[in-house]
Amino acid sequence: MTAPAAAPSRTPALPRLIGPIRPRPRWVELRLLLLVAAALAVGSISLNATVNGEFRLYDVQGIVIYVAGLLVAHLAQVLAGRRTDQILLPTAGMLGGISLLLMERLPQDLVTQSFFGTTLTLAEVQLLWLLIALGIATTIGIVVRSDSWLRRYKYTWAAAGVALLLLTFVFGTEVNGQRLTLDLGPISGQPSELLKVILVVFLAGYLSENRALLVEQDTRVGPLRLPPLPYLAPMVVMWAIALGIVVVQRDLGAALLFFGVFLAMLYVATGRFSLVIIGLILFVLGSALMATLFATIRTRVDIWLDPFSDPLGAGYQVVQALHAFARGGLLGVGLGAGLPEIGGRPPIPAVHTDFPLAALGEELGLLGVVAILGLFLVVVERGMRIGAAAADDFRSLLAVGLALVIGIQAFTIAAGNLKVLPLTGVTLPFISYGGSSLLANAVIIGLLLALSDKGVEPPPPPRVGSSRRWFRRGAAR
Amino acid sequence: MMLGGGATARKPIGRTTFHVAIVLSVCFALLAGAVGYWSVVEAPGLVTSPNDAAVINAARTVPRGAIKDRDGNVLASNKKDKNGESYRVYANRAFSQVVGYASNIYGRAGIELAYDAELTGLASDPVADALAKFGADRFDPKDVTLSLSSDLQKAAVAALGKRKGAVVMLDPRTGEVLALASTPTYDASAIANPDTARDAFAALQDDPAQPLLPRATLGRYVPGSVFKIVTAIAGLGSGAITPATTYKQQPAAEKTGLLVQGFRIRDGHHPETGSTPLDLVHATEVSCNIYYALTGLGTGGKALVDYAARLGFGQPLPFDLPTAASQVTNGGGSQPGGFTDDVELANAAYGQAETFVTPLQMALVAATVANDGELIQPRLVTALSSDRTGTRTVGPSSMGRVISPAAASSITDAMVQAVEGPLGRQFTTGAKVPGVTTAGKSGTAELGGTGEPHSWFIGFAPAESPRVAIAVLVEQAGRGAEVAAPIAGDLMARYLSSGP
Repeated sequence: MTAPAAAPSRTPALPRLIGPIRPRPRWVELRLLLLVAAALAVGSISLNATVNGEFRLYDVQGIVIYVAGLLVAHLAQVLAGRRTDQILLPTAGMLGGISLLLMERLPQDLVTQSFFGTTLTLAEVQLLWLLIALGIATTIGIVVRSDSWLRRYKYTWAAAGVALLLLTFVFGTEVNGQRLTLDLGPISGQPSELLKVILVVFLAGYLSENRALLVEQDTRVGPLRLPPLPYLAPMVVMWAIALGIVVVQRDLGAALLFFGVFLAMLYVATGRFSLVIIGLILFVLGSALMATLFATIRTRVDIWLDPFSDPLGAGYQVVQALHAFARGGLLGVGLGAGLPEIGGRPPIPAVHTDFPLAALGEELGLLGVVAILGLFLVVVERGMRIGAAAADDFRSLLAVGLALVIGIQAFTIAAGNLKVLPLTGVTLPFISYGGSSLLANAVIIGLLLALSDKGVEPPPPPRVGSSRRWFRRGAAR
Repeated sequence: MMLGGGATARKPIGRTTFHVAIVLSVCFALLAGAVGYWSVVEAPGLVTSPNDAAVINAARTVPRGAIKDRDGNVLASNKKDKNGESYRVYANRAFSQVVGYASNIYGRAGIELAYDAELTGLASDPVADALAKFGADRFDPKDVTLSLSSDLQKAAVAALGKRKGAVVMLDPRTGEVLALASTPTYDASAIANPDTARDAFAALQDDPAQPLLPRATLGRYVPGSVFKIVTAIAGLGSGAITPATTYKQQPAAEKTGLLVQGFRIRDGHHPETGSTPLDLVHATEVSCNIYYALTGLGTGGKALVDYAARLGFGQPLPFDLPTAASQVTNGGGSQPGGFTDDVELANAAYGQAETFVTPLQMALVAATVANDGELIQPRLVTALSSDRTGTRTVGPSSMGRVISPAAASSITDAMVQAVEGPLGRQFTTGAKVPGVTTAGKSGTAELGGTGEPHSWFIGFAPAESPRVAIAVLVEQAGRGAEVAAPIAGDLMARYLSSGP
């Protein structure tokens, strides 16, 4: 690597919050958003036709507010004049809109929350979170012009993430045998959702700094050619953290997500397939060990292997989800026509958090689910494209990592719904009910938007400085 | 072009990113495949399963299709309770063992269970299903038409009266079951009605007479002499005997009994037949145990079991209702066919030993002889119909040829002699249908101990071109000739006089 001889400045430029406003039209985004609005309107009318037999929007207020929110986000970006990606917002917006339609059509008393005296029900809460998420994504996409605050303080971020995790371990409340939720007064959140973003930031920082070493140097262990062992330390740490999540939170999904993102980013950075294989072996061995030690995990695996052995007991939700897909068939039964309620309850109790895909599978059918999976792939594709076009390794790895978080998380929960993998507690990005999940994914979309700016301030010169030396000392001890 | 792109010369990460993208795409393709697997490949089984939420829900809200007899009389219809949920009402207790019940508390039985998906309106062909989704109502309940004749079914239950027993009548040419009676019966409406279900069901479960047991299809009984027809089929079919075969041991052995490995097989007909050597027809006329024991030994255990299997023995019969498997032997022995020794084989040949049969199976034995040696699969459901999808009829299907028409004809002659011959009339009174040549065989199944034997009769009429085959069993009612045979004669006469 050759650094420019005269680096302009070592002092980080503060992010410019307000630059000169030069509006720049975003026709692609606008056209796609109009398409999204049309699709949501058709969906809403279809829902109303099924439920009430009326040929108009099901929840005029909700849909109008949401579409207006999307347009405001669009307008804000037009005004900001940045040359950011125009596909991400409509794609994520479509997924969020599907979420809104689904939440409107589920029994509203599945969730009730009181904010300052007013009680909101399922769809209202979800709409509120969606709007907040839109705001966050747009704000980050407009405001963030420099990434130095991320790349410079990566260890601080990592420490904050670990602290968050520890907080959950210690103070978290247990739901369904999983310690995922942290209660802060009236608001409860799942820190592991935010942790995944922090993880990607840390990994992007670490890997981009040490990439050359990891690629070019070898340690021979028998027939294997491995990267220098000290630099594998983070991998072992990650392995431990992932298993720690499994142990304390009993959350196979988050562990799978974290470790999957880690291995994928490691491969992207180094191109070493052997690392991925070793990582996978470690993960499978660790999981198998955990499965033998903990009854909760063993139960989940047993349910996964044969849910039909106890269709009304342990395997109930998984079996009902598969039944829902079966009822949907090729084309689905139509929005609002599915999920026959037994005694006033939907057949899948956790349909709004863990099984939204099963509900959509029933109502939109095979074609609808494939379309939704396609939307997730579009988000991933945009992220990777942004990563490939980015100016330096950190930005590349950050964009790819963030996209992978969405892709792998969607895969994990969808696979759980479909009995491809054991069912886990992670959410379906943009669609599942839940503030933590929506906010974390909004941060991801916002960062991807910011990273996609073709006119973003050039990255700071690579530092041959303190942090690497610090690590060498650390590793040598 | 990106700004700052030339700041550092770096190995591009595009290639590895592309690899990861491919892996993730494959993973998503796998998901799409999984969705297809569950929503298309596995869907037909899942959406009709009783665990399916839509099935559970439909059971509470959607009126089930009607069940009708062969003449269109409704056997099962619907009423609405005070909550607006519909429940079943059944026309007559005589049908309870066949039609069964559909209760939201106790589940389903009988045709209500076997055709639950169709009656609920969930099962259909995929095209109709896809179109139905665009309609307002996604359920398409089918009416199920049975081959049962209400008249015969009620007459059969009435003829059995307070005794425990079963009557199976079917058309040997088509396999259509005309009557499938089991007694005692029960009031299925009381189980289906949510107000009376709990008391009614509890009482039925506690009843020692087991009214919930469909004896005609699930009851397994010692057959006694009616099994001799199976032995005759195996003997003629395997070539071990001809219709003219006589045994040199007879008639001498009839006085003192035939000794088989120390076991003495006795007969009671010697005073009537005297010194005449008995062939197939005459041995059947007087129901000669020794003749059939010798035939069984000559045929061999393997051939006997094989021919019985061709008749449907050894596994549950393919039928619209659950059936029990009939057996010649329990198969634990080391001899060919699974017999313990020649004593068991000789006894099985005239329907004792470890031989257990269902009344439906014995009706099929009679029907096979009646249908020139070809076995037609028995069936109850003849048509499924709905306004939306029209009517689908179910045609007859063959279960294969058991014996040649010539052999079947010889056995028919023997069975006619058993009902109409000079001695047969004495042994089997009342089975004869007036004015019609009637073929049959009675049976008196000894149970050991002091209990009364089971009374059996199987037969068919008219012998020249049979239109009905029958099996009658009355539990512990005494000799077959005296109890079961008259019931069979009356029922066959009733059927033959009513229809074309």
